Amino acid sequence: MSVPPAAPPDEPYLQVRDLTVQFPTEDGLVRAVDGVSFSVRRGQTLGIVGESGSGKSVTSLSILGLHNAARTRIGGEISVGGRNIVGMADEKIREMRGRDMAMIFQDSLSALHPYYRIGVQIAEAYRIHHPSSSKAEANRRAVEMLDRVGIPQPERRARSYPHEFSGGMRQRAMIAMSLVNDPALLIADEPTTALDVTVQAQILDLLADLQREFNSAIIMITHDLGVVAQIADEVLVMYAGRATETGSVEQVLRSAQHPYTWGLLASVPSLHGDAEIDLVPIKGNPPSLINLPTGCAFSPRCRYAGRNGNRSFVEAPQLRPAGQPGHLVACHLDADSRLKIYQEGIAHAGAAQ
Amino acid sequence: MRLKIGALAAGALSVALVASGCSKTENDSSNEDEKATVQAGAISYDANDNKGPAPAVEGAAKGGNLGVFLPDGFEHLDPARSVINVETLTNQMIARPLNGYREDGKGNLKVVGDLAENPGTDVNKDCKVWEFKIRQGVKFEDGSPITANDVAYGVARAFSPDLAEGPHYLQQWLAGTDYNASYKGPYNGGAEVPPGVTVPDAQTIRFTFPEPHCDMPYAATQSTSVPVPKAKDTKTEYDRKPFSSGPYKIKKYALGNSLVLERNPHWDPATDPLRTAYPDSITFDFTLAADQIAERLIANAPADQSYLSWVLVPAAQLQKTTMAGVKERVVSGPTTFVWYFYLNNQRIKDLNVRRALNYAIDKDAVLKAIGGSAAGTPATTLLSPTVAGFTKYDVFNAPATGDKAKAKELLGSTPPPPLVLAYANNPRRSAQAEAARKSLEAVGFQVTAKGIDPTVIGTELGRKDNPYDIYLGGWGADWPGGSTALAPLFDGRTITPTGNQNLAYFNEESVNTEIDRIRTLADPGEAAKAWGALDQKIMADYAPVVPAYYDNSYTLTGSKVGNASVSDAHGLPGLSNVFVKP
Amino acid sequence: MVRFVIRRLLFAVSTLFAISVLTFLLFFAVPSSPAEVMCGKQCNPTQIEQTEHRLGLDRTLVAQYGTFVAGIFAGRTIGAGDFIRQCPAPCLGYSFRTDEPVTDILKRTVPVTVSIVVGAATMWLLIGVSLGMTSALRRGTLFDRLAISVSLVGASLQVYFFGLVLLLLLVYRTDLLPAPSYTPFTENPAKWALGLLLPWITLGFLNSALYARLSRAQMLETLSEDFVRTARAKGLPKRQVHTRHALRAAITPLITIAGLDIGASLGGTVITESIFGLQGLGRVSVQAVEDLNLPIVLATVLLAATFIVLANIVVDMLYAVVDPRVRLS
Repeated sequence: MSVPPAAPPDEPYLQVRDLTVQFPTEDGLVRAVDGVSFSVRRGQTLGIVGESGSGKSVTSLSILGLHNAARTRIGGEISVGGRNIVGMADEKIREMRGRDMAMIFQDSLSALHPYYRIGVQIAEAYRIHHPSSSKAEANRRAVEMLDRVGIPQPERRARSYPHEFSGGMRQRAMIAMSLVNDPALLIADEPTTALDVTVQAQILDLLADLQREFNSAIIMITHDLGVVAQIADEVLVMYAGRATETGSVEQVLRSAQHPYTWGLLASVPSLHGDAEIDLVPIKGNPPSLINLPTGCAFSPRCRYAGRNGNRSFVEAPQLRPAGQPGHLVACHLDADSRLKIYQEGIAHAGAAQ
Repeated sequence: MRLKIGALAAGALSVALVASGCSKTENDSSNEDEKATVQAGAISYDANDNKGPAPAVEGAAKGGNLGVFLPDGFEHLDPARSVINVETLTNQMIARPLNGYREDGKGNLKVVGDLAENPGTDVNKDCKVWEFKIRQGVKFEDGSPITANDVAYGVARAFSPDLAEGPHYLQQWLAGTDYNASYKGPYNGGAEVPPGVTVPDAQTIRFTFPEPHCDMPYAATQSTSVPVPKAKDTKTEYDRKPFSSGPYKIKKYALGNSLVLERNPHWDPATDPLRTAYPDSITFDFTLAADQIAERLIANAPADQSYLSWVLVPAAQLQKTTMAGVKERVVSGPTTFVWYFYLNNQRIKDLNVRRALNYAIDKDAVLKAIGGSAAGTPATTLLSPTVAGFTKYDVFNAPATGDKAKAKELLGSTPPPPLVLAYANNPRRSAQAEAARKSLEAVGFQVTAKGIDPTVIGTELGRKDNPYDIYLGGWGADWPGGSTALAPLFDGRTITPTGNQNLAYFNEESVNTEIDRIRTLADPGEAAKAWGALDQKIMADYAPVVPAYYDNSYTLTGSKVGNASVSDAHGLPGLSNVFVKP
Repeated sequence: MVRFVIRRLLFAVSTLFAISVLTFLLFFAVPSSPAEVMCGKQCNPTQIEQTEHRLGLDRTLVAQYGTFVAGIFAGRTIGAGDFIRQCPAPCLGYSFRTDEPVTDILKRTVPVTVSIVVGAATMWLLIGVSLGMTSALRRGTLFDRLAISVSLVGASLQVYFFGLVLLLLLVYRTDLLPAPSYTPFTENPAKWALGLLLPWITLGFLNSALYARLSRAQMLETLSEDFVRTARAKGLPKRQVHTRHALRAAITPLITIAGLDIGASLGGTVITESIFGLQGLGRVSVQAVEDLNLPIVLATVLLAATFIVLANIVVDMLYAVVDPRVRLS
């Protein structure tokens, strides 16, 4: 159960309700996503944050219908532009992919086909949704897009192969490809992780820029709260396939309520300080998604678990209002304890901002 | 004559690559109950035997195409260069030497005149001057008459170092061991008639030898005396298209694939006492391997029914040849080969040990390792039953499986010497060596078995100081006289540092002198008897080898092949009197 | 590209040179003389010497090798006096055993082996690769499981067993197919194909099994590649994702394997040729080794090496054509 964010005046472009994604395996059922809800409006950016294995990538893939249908059980509702794609025929989803919703992947070198020229790959993405367009038209469009994402000499570069590009250029090309059909929803899965810091900033600027231009809804998947801070409007923190905290960037980063979020904040290297000291990783490993701990999934790693008797170990916490409107948290700690701990410890570490 | 290696199933020959010869034996070789007896020489001057045409085969039909399957084809068909049995048998169809073997298919063999009117006249009764009269009316494939000059020219060619692969007997008898040291054939300005040969008239050829050679009628069966017209001599190219003097001529010869013979219209059956030549054509197919040939002939598909084979049935397929419908088509019979376990007499000097070895070896197991009775019959003598003078005897009277008690008794209390058993490293010989090793160890010998690469084992064992004690080897006489069977193996004076054929390294004065004496016996019957006696004397007094088994030829034919039988002289079915059933 | 080819060809020539030298040396390391083998019992030492002289085996190794190499490029004269023979370039000498020019032997055996390999390779590439690709795309289905089991059986079978069984079943026992034989393609294409059908089926099936497994694994690996996911994310239909994106990438490594396999097979498919009674390069070379027939051994070894070296070059060039990341230099 989750409480959806308050409905904005205009209908969100993407509305995910109580999404569950499960993979039956020989070892047992993998609960990759377990009852997650969120929504994104056009022109708005949602940051989904979590460690690897938290279910954030699975969530994004299922929105695009890129999961292996034969081996995945999917439940809940994913409404894209008013159409629920859960249970929709694969062919219908395919038609929407790349046109209504597009994706930018993390490693542009492996995500682009090594054998085809950049221009060809972009043109291909265009032509599949514009079957009546000519090859030349598509090529023109590809060059135009390359130009738009800031690639110099776009005509020449369109004839290059992915391996001939630098990492940043390649990611720009990737973005160009994803935006070639003006999708209303763009999912960016760690688009800057593989890039160095300055390029990272450029790419994020570019995305923000494009978002203004195309008025698209963006989901930014990242483990880096710094990225979230820079680009997102809303944040969803995920742990072990569940939402642990959600709210505006302001709310989540400035007054985080969940011990896991605190941990994430603490592990973000400060741009100003000494990385060695600042970087405090969360102890322990994410749990197995086949054998989730009973109670709060985070409890084995949580230093505050058990402060409410044994609730942490028997009962899974639900998202509850965390104070400010729109800010929700799934934690058994009461609001006062959270505030106290936060003020004493976490804010002191000054990790986030 | 060399046996085709393939004929003994791929690399079967571990030692000598030389074979053949034979003689009249009274026993039907397919009937083991009959005892072979001493044979007189098989050289026949009987006018009936020497007169054409060859006796008709009962039930035979003229016409059709006879097929022959043989793996790998021929090395040479040039008569000066061919010596392997498959080549000789093929040459019989397109070339006529002075003499030939007349065989009745029941083990009876006679040397008669082929191109010559009779097997040769010993002019002075001292075996030094031999005269042959060429038949009237014999013709080459172009219709021109065959003359004594053509025969002389054929012999002359055989002196050329460039055509040296064939038999060397005539050349060596005429000009000594290094026969082409001075005369090198009719090429480069050499004479067209070799030294010692004269052609008094077109019908007569005369050979004069410095030493007596009473085996001349046998030697004249070899392809050295095939006529070659000088005008048709294409030198090394002659190998591809020999000019026919026989009942067939070459129609098409695709090296590595096939040879097709068609009738020679100028051959007159009335001039030929040996060949009925029933089929209209003969096709030789070289493309199949031994096991496929066996499979195809077992299956007997319509296209293969008129084929016979010149390769032994491999052990794997022997079982199938006992089925009804197949067993009737097996052509089986002894070859001139006898297989011995040579005992290295330089290393095993104790006669009692050599005798004990004769008792110890399980000949039956050694044979079973390569297919049992299809592969041969346990041997007790040195001479093959196909050789003139063969006398059946058994000085040890042990069962074929050996007599362990007797062997142990002979060895007594002295510990038996350790033995090194050498064998050619291929499946057949390895299996045989293993059988031998077991039987030797059963009587207390310590045996070290040593496998040697088949391509070099001849060279290895031929070294006088070879470090081996016992090894299996086959030997076949070049013709059905004892001289080419016993002399090369047991004349101690032939031992040289390398390249030996006397692999037992056996050297006894009394045996050497006896060999010399027999060689000068002008009466073939007397000579044959003496060889038989020497055979027994060697085994009784010295036991230098363990006779293991008499080699057997075991091949298949298709159901439309008539009158195929193993040629005693060549160890495979001859073609002269085979017919194709309509 | 041109520079690459030139460089690789130069390298190939030096490889072949090294191989020829090595073959020469190995041949003479064998403690048996071909002259002796040829002569047999008939020969006394003088005749063996004469034979050796005639074959040129009495000269120094360097001289023999020099003559051999010179013969390839310029041709040579063999023999003396009335027996002089012109052996035009490329002269590889005469068979010690049958006196046939080695080039003639190659001329009649190479087409046989090439025909076997070309037909079989076509079969195994078509069947094996499509089977492998299909079962990768239908992973886990009955089709996939069936294909895997069949190919496991195929991969564990041996030519000499499977070939003989087919021969027995289809030819000897039932007459469904004619006994394998070689008819030149130019003479009668239908007969050519019919005569070689059985070896094609045998080699084709066995290698298909291998290639099915290979290409299935390769395809599965490629299907999990990021760029395939990208292609799907673009909204490409399945077929286009599979053919244009996955297949293209999956097939590249197969080119290497297939190229080298074919190159090696061209050197002689010994067992296949023996079983089906085809007089190809493989059988001739094995026979030549048994007979210590140096000219044929040298020629077949060199030819086999040439095929392999050329296959390597072709594979590298194909790779460069297929994969733009590969630079020929």
